[in-house]
Amino acid sequence: MRSTQKQELKLGFVALTDSAPLIVAKEYGFFEEQGLDVTLQKQNSWATLRDKLHAGVLDAAQMLAPMPLASGLGLGCRPCEVIAPFVLSLNGNAITISEGLYQEILAVSGLSELPLPLSAKLLLPVIAQRKEAGLSKLKFADVFPYSCHHYQLLDWLSDGGVELDDVDLLTVPPVNMVDFLESGEIDAFCVGGPWNAKAVRSEIGLTALTSFDIWENQPEKVLGVTKKFASDNPNLVRSLCTALAQACSYLEKTPNRFEAARLMSRANYLDAPIEVIAPSLIGSCLTHRFLPPRVVPSYNQFSDAAVDINKPTREQGIWLVNKMLKANQITDREAAYAVVDKVFTDSYL
Amino acid sequence: MSSELSILLIDEDLDRASEVVSALEKSRYKIRHMAQPNATLLKEVDAWQPDIIVIDIESPTRDMLESLNMISAYNPKPVVMFSDAEDEDLINESVKSGVSAYVVGDTDTSRLRPILDAAVARFNEYQSLKEELTQTKNELEARKLIDQAKRLLMETKGLSEQEAFSSMRKTAMDSGQKLEDVAKTIISIMKNMNF
Repeated sequence: MRSTQKQELKLGFVALTDSAPLIVAKEYGFFEEQGLDVTLQKQNSWATLRDKLHAGVLDAAQMLAPMPLASGLGLGCRPCEVIAPFVLSLNGNAITISEGLYQEILAVSGLSELPLPLSAKLLLPVIAQRKEAGLSKLKFADVFPYSCHHYQLLDWLSDGGVELDDVDLLTVPPVNMVDFLESGEIDAFCVGGPWNAKAVRSEIGLTALTSFDIWENQPEKVLGVTKKFASDNPNLVRSLCTALAQACSYLEKTPNRFEAARLMSRANYLDAPIEVIAPSLIGSCLTHRFLPPRVVPSYNQFSDAAVDINKPTREQGIWLVNKMLKANQITDREAAYAVVDKVFTDSYL
Repeated sequence: MSSELSILLIDEDLDRASEVVSALEKSRYKIRHMAQPNATLLKEVDAWQPDIIVIDIESPTRDMLESLNMISAYNPKPVVMFSDAEDEDLINESVKSGVSAYVVGDTDTSRLRPILDAAVARFNEYQSLKEELTQTKNELEARKLIDQAKRLLMETKGLSEQEAFSSMRKTAMDSGQKLEDVAKTIISIMKNMNF
């Protein structure tokens, strides 16, 4: 590596279970082996993480897979060319419904237990009954307008035949999700770990299905760097991807994942007990306090011995753009497809 | 600049919040403080229609406001954010054009009033620029439609350009429609009849 390139890197992340590759790369010295002095900087909101990345306050960041596309298209921000040279994870989200909504579905449907993964069809009689009684609409929360969570929630509802006019959708920060579900301010949420497991452990809800049950193996988090930073520091970006690839393959083995969960529970990372971080990492979807966990081996997927899942592809970008079109966030298909080719690049691997 | 403006301050830091409130006493700003944002935040924003929202850049609630961009497409609000002084200029540089956000170092509340003034002024300027742009775009679009309809009439009815235009204008005046709407109708009819 040339000495003119800076070795210190500020890497932004959000305290979620799927930030495992970043934390593992830092704690097990994979960054260091590549000659990188990485500081992991915890961010409280995706909007601020994005603004800091655009501004160069952060050199690189863990991003929601649709975010670099939104940056390029100038959705919710000033347009900024951000590239996604590395896919950090697939799947990882889940939809949890409140205990109240769970009981309501049981009562209205007359079922003694709900088939999991839950179909949104079972919401239809609840919605109809609420309408008739003049009660408020069901409120569903996700984490960001340009997130897989948002599109997964929309897909799940429309697959079940739920009309979007019949529900309220809102954005809620992950840290507030469990409290809002408990207080009844929302009826369900789509969020990443550890928040679904936290809701089940707190005995306030039912995790109805995971994002793997909605979209099988689509990218969830990506590494984001500005195009300018990548052009100025191509070797740094390559080293970053190499270290993260090492971390992802370390995370392939289940025993290693348990170790990762231990690291991640520390205050400077997730600051949460291992009992809510470990389950999804070891392929267990906690469902409800009185129900057994479901086996979902790909609940959090960071690597795969058979396929190179960390390599960004045009198909992944197109998939996400089509979801943005379906959600009416964009209308110009051609322009969006053109951005995909700039964003999802494997030229740093 | 003398009309009263309402501010929604979202801040968990109660000390800073009360400092902000007193810094803006006897000013044209009317302030409402929310320490613990709840799920109805967006509805309240929609109902109360504050002129400015002030929030810490490190607050998780920023993401809730992000969906405001989508909900209030016709009624956007300027957002002013507190930030660490060291990052202030850098982030401002990034957010200053195009979006409604404005960043301010958090320590000196005496600076707040002129900054709010500037944010409101710049935001209004930006909004009117955006409206102008939309209007220009619409006008261009309308002219294109009118030209297309005119050409179709000339080709199919053997009219001169002046005759085609006059006939469209007459239809518009007689039926109380806009010229571009008449053009749209002509284009769609002609297309359906495979002219």
